[in-house]
Amino acid sequence: MEIKKYFSAADIILCMGAMLLLFSCKKDTVNTTTTLPVVEAYLMPGHIISVKLYLQKELTDTSKYGGPITGQQLAISDGSTNVTLTESAKGVYTYSDTTFLKTGKTYSLTFKYLGNTVTAKSTMPAKPLNFATQYASVTYTKTSTGPNSVQDTLNRFTWSNPDSLNHVLVFKNADGIAFALSARGNETTSDFELNTDQRSVLYATPNIFPYYGHYTVILLRVNQEYIDLLKSNTSRSTSQNLVNTPTNVVNGFGIFTAMQADTVKFDLL
Amino acid sequence: MKKLVLLFIIAGFSLGVHAQKTQQILKKNYVNKLYTCALDQMLDTLGMDYHLHIVFERDSLHKFDVVEHFFNDRLDKVFDKICSDNNLHYWLENDGTIYILQNTDDLTRLKKLNTLNNIAAGLKPVTIEAPKGPPTHFLFTVSGKVTDQNSGEALPSATVKIRKTDLVATTGTDGNFTIFNVPADTCVVEVYYSGYQPELIRLNAKNINESIVVTMYKSLNTLNEVTIMGKKSGVMNTDTKKVGVLQLSPANLDKLPNLGEKDIMRAFQLMPGVGATNESSSGAYVRGGTPDQNLVVFDGFTVYQVDHLYGFFSAFNSNAVKDVQLYKGGFSSMYGGRLSSVTEINGKDGNKNEANYGVDLSLLSFNAFVETPIGDKSSLLVAFRRSYQGPFYDKIFKQFNTSTTTGGGGGRGGFPGGGGGGFGEQTTPASHFYDDDIRYTYHINKTNSLAWSLYSGSDVTDNSRQLQLPSFLSSGGDINITDYTKYGNLGSSLKWFSQWSKKVHSNTYITYSSYYNDRNRTTAGTTTDSNGDAVAFSNGTIENNNLKDIGVKSEWQYQLDNKVKLLYGGFGSRQHINYDYIQNDTSRLIDQHNTAFIGGGYAELEYDPDNKLHLQPGMRTTWFQPTGKLYYEPRFSASYVLNDNYTLKAATGQFYQFMNEVTREDVANGNRNFWVLSNNSNIPVGMSRHIMGGISWENNGFLVDVEGYYKTLSGLTQYAIRQTGFAPGSAGTIEQDFFQGTGHAKGIELLLQKKLGRYTGWLSYTLARAENRFAIYGDTYYPADQDVTHEFKAVNMYHYYRWNFSAVFIFSTGHPYTAPLSTYTVTNADGTTSTSYNVGAKNSVRLPDYHRLDLSATYDLLKISGDKTGSIGISLFNVYNHVNTWYKEYQIQNNAVIATDVNYLGFTPNITLSLRWK
Repeated sequence: MEIKKYFSAADIILCMGAMLLLFSCKKDTVNTTTTLPVVEAYLMPGHIISVKLYLQKELTDTSKYGGPITGQQLAISDGSTNVTLTESAKGVYTYSDTTFLKTGKTYSLTFKYLGNTVTAKSTMPAKPLNFATQYASVTYTKTSTGPNSVQDTLNRFTWSNPDSLNHVLVFKNADGIAFALSARGNETTSDFELNTDQRSVLYATPNIFPYYGHYTVILLRVNQEYIDLLKSNTSRSTSQNLVNTPTNVVNGFGIFTAMQADTVKFDLL
Repeated sequence: MKKLVLLFIIAGFSLGVHAQKTQQILKKNYVNKLYTCALDQMLDTLGMDYHLHIVFERDSLHKFDVVEHFFNDRLDKVFDKICSDNNLHYWLENDGTIYILQNTDDLTRLKKLNTLNNIAAGLKPVTIEAPKGPPTHFLFTVSGKVTDQNSGEALPSATVKIRKTDLVATTGTDGNFTIFNVPADTCVVEVYYSGYQPELIRLNAKNINESIVVTMYKSLNTLNEVTIMGKKSGVMNTDTKKVGVLQLSPANLDKLPNLGEKDIMRAFQLMPGVGATNESSSGAYVRGGTPDQNLVVFDGFTVYQVDHLYGFFSAFNSNAVKDVQLYKGGFSSMYGGRLSSVTEINGKDGNKNEANYGVDLSLLSFNAFVETPIGDKSSLLVAFRRSYQGPFYDKIFKQFNTSTTTGGGGGRGGFPGGGGGGFGEQTTPASHFYDDDIRYTYHINKTNSLAWSLYSGSDVTDNSRQLQLPSFLSSGGDINITDYTKYGNLGSSLKWFSQWSKKVHSNTYITYSSYYNDRNRTTAGTTTDSNGDAVAFSNGTIENNNLKDIGVKSEWQYQLDNKVKLLYGGFGSRQHINYDYIQNDTSRLIDQHNTAFIGGGYAELEYDPDNKLHLQPGMRTTWFQPTGKLYYEPRFSASYVLNDNYTLKAATGQFYQFMNEVTREDVANGNRNFWVLSNNSNIPVGMSRHIMGGISWENNGFLVDVEGYYKTLSGLTQYAIRQTGFAPGSAGTIEQDFFQGTGHAKGIELLLQKKLGRYTGWLSYTLARAENRFAIYGDTYYPADQDVTHEFKAVNMYHYYRWNFSAVFIFSTGHPYTAPLSTYTVTNADGTTSTSYNVGAKNSVRLPDYHRLDLSATYDLLKISGDKTGSIGISLFNVYNHVNTWYKEYQIQNNAVIATDVNYLGFTPNITLSLRWK
């Protein structure tokens, strides 16, 4: 038996219409993340607690920081005790009892902002141990060997790290940008920090120091959330790889993290 | 000559025999005569003297006078002489008739004239001999092979028909066909193939016992003539009986606009369902799939790197390619290992009859080939092309390197080692690509042949240089900066074809395919240390990724009768992937060595209960060693011919993929692509299910085809490797992130094709959606990177005598992208600040619509005898210089975000010259 009937144009349109039904409708959701607050807080034992709240910035905004968020009720809990922060300056909320922060406790920040409950928490790591520098002072003569020559090791910084915890080394130069070493003109600050990649040693070569000077070297034992922030690099992003910088703030952005420090001195002259 | 005689015996009596007779007359006779007459009179004389049937327009040829004395000149040279003197061409049809043409397009008119003359003269044109007597054999099987008369090349997908019956067969990739239950040995076999003259063969008691070799004559005309329904014609063909299949003849590609290379992958992008707006990828984005979900098989081996020059050109040299099929989904159980689609490319065998060579020149590349018979039994084809670094090449190179010119300025500590051009030295990298194909075919005997195929292709960028240190800086000593990148493929296969009987044949392959992507960025030299001693140093990064795939497979076809065909086979392969990333000679950041064995088999039934219904159930089973599991892939496709015009078709199936191509993001030096194997932990085996159906309407002049599809995907992998923490003095680390997700894709494709006449071409429209869901981007589906809602393509070709003009217009919805909404800044522990983006929902905004118009004009170069010897063409890409955005780049400067559009190619002209000897 043969089907003699030809399809009419109407049949085809009907058929296509049926196929179009495959495409369900979908509503666009309005993105409200631009009103979320930005939190910045570094909890260190022996220091007062200071939490800064910023607004986000428009893409074309050229100011360094977003505007302060004022008039908020911030509370921090260590699991048993709940303390309330006071606004000591515009957008800066502090708690001055330096004994509140203790090793091993988990601190949670809570506040309400524009109808959302913003929270963040971080656990205080133990104080780093056995932080030492091989030399207290090194005199180094710059040899003009070009940017690619083999680097001498100037100094060795060591610390105990049997559990491969995260540590960051911060170098603060008391002499500022007076005496250039490996600076190529684009470093405007003399201070810098290095992620030590969970190791227990850093071999310092001349090229990590942009400037000569009297350095305070701070070893920070930090949590993963800080490493995540440190690793994110927004200097070159494209629409093909753009991702949010990791944050441990819920209903907000920024960083709320606990850390402990030890310090040595090192002079590079 | 021996060959011709041989052909006689094998082929029996066919139309081509007339042409062979005429060719012999032309080659064997010598003219010794003085002609002082009008040309028409001379042709009459020649026709009488040598019993040639010459057709011409008497009125126009009468105007030409011939005054020529021939001394022992061969007859074909006489035709050459009188035609070239009078700006004419002669053309030999396969019925033995010689046509004298002022223009190639005159042939159709002259043929009609010939028929009319014959009728007027009461003659019946000799087309095919009458049967010698009453039939003596009934309901037998015939088998044979269809080849090109000129090159001896097997012709795949030719239509073979028994006249006045419903018996039809299509030739396989080796040109073979089998027809069962032929009613009588007096039947006529009709053979049709695109670009060739139809061939007729009378069967007789003798030739039915032999393998029938049908040699097809090329048709003169570039005009498409459609003689039967469903016949392949033109640049691009669809098989209306199969869902989602596209076929392409590389020989016709010069009719389309091109950017210097006739590009088979780019040509597919003009068809519905294949994304056309990814200028940075020749890979096929088929029905919402990505290029790594498209299996590319070249002469039996898998090709892992399908393009050159950052994706702008496909890796396949069209001069070495015989035919290409693209299966857009729901494909046969013969193929597996990919989620989306299959591109099967068959290389040319090489000319079996005589040597032929040709060159193509363009502003981009040089392309040459040689094909030649070697002895009686074998043939060789060698094709080679290489780009040269002219302004055109540089333009494209720069297009894809703009994002890599600025150094890694920002951030803490730059990239140690790697020559950041520290001395302000500006160099233009030397860069080129090349590829070569070698194919050697050896006919062991009538039923067995071997074919060895080798492909190698590579892209090389060398930015190495030597720095002479200025004396005031130091110490002296040289620094050698090596910056060398090379990536490409090497693949080879050995195929053994065997015709076991009329009913059974097999293809067995040993295959090897490797992909490599290597980069060496090191700085080495000697310098003087603080003690005044010379010290050698070397630092930088070396990155090597390679994949080696060794396999065997055997594919069998068993044709039980006209209704039932069984396809079955087995395969086994071993894939090995090495990935090393070495920095400063010492630290291995990545050191991966993975091996996987894959083995399995497939079986498929092609069942045609009548001429209307076609059913094709199949099953493929694969064992994948890393997971230790068996994967079953049921497949099914069917078509139903409603009547002469309408065909319904549908397909479904399940598909697995065991390896993925991933990208290592390297914003400073360009992204790197490489392959990873699925495993039992963080990289899942991908799985997809397809459902697709369609209806097509076709008559002699037009084709309307509508297809719809729905696909689900699971086990998708996004794998990112990021270099992090390149702290000065320390090696830094590599962070590997694996993300798993699911997806789905759906769409409708519409094709309206005009197949016949001076004007041909097609309109194609696709309405589609492809969505993915990866946990890192939230728990809802978002548009996949390759998602394009509307895509419209208009391909127009106009043939005017020896000119071919074409205009291609492409419009598509912009690709989705992710945009920052705002920024925020916090102070770090060291007192410096870091600014971050608040990023909007994944792919929630779209780039502007993509559109462009390409134009081309090609002028055919013809020999006096009407054969094409080449062409000259000019192509204009993106004629109205529309700015199409590739992606956006964001940088933070002075605390504000600067967004820059990175664009695709603007207006670009190109010229090509193509020449063929023989």
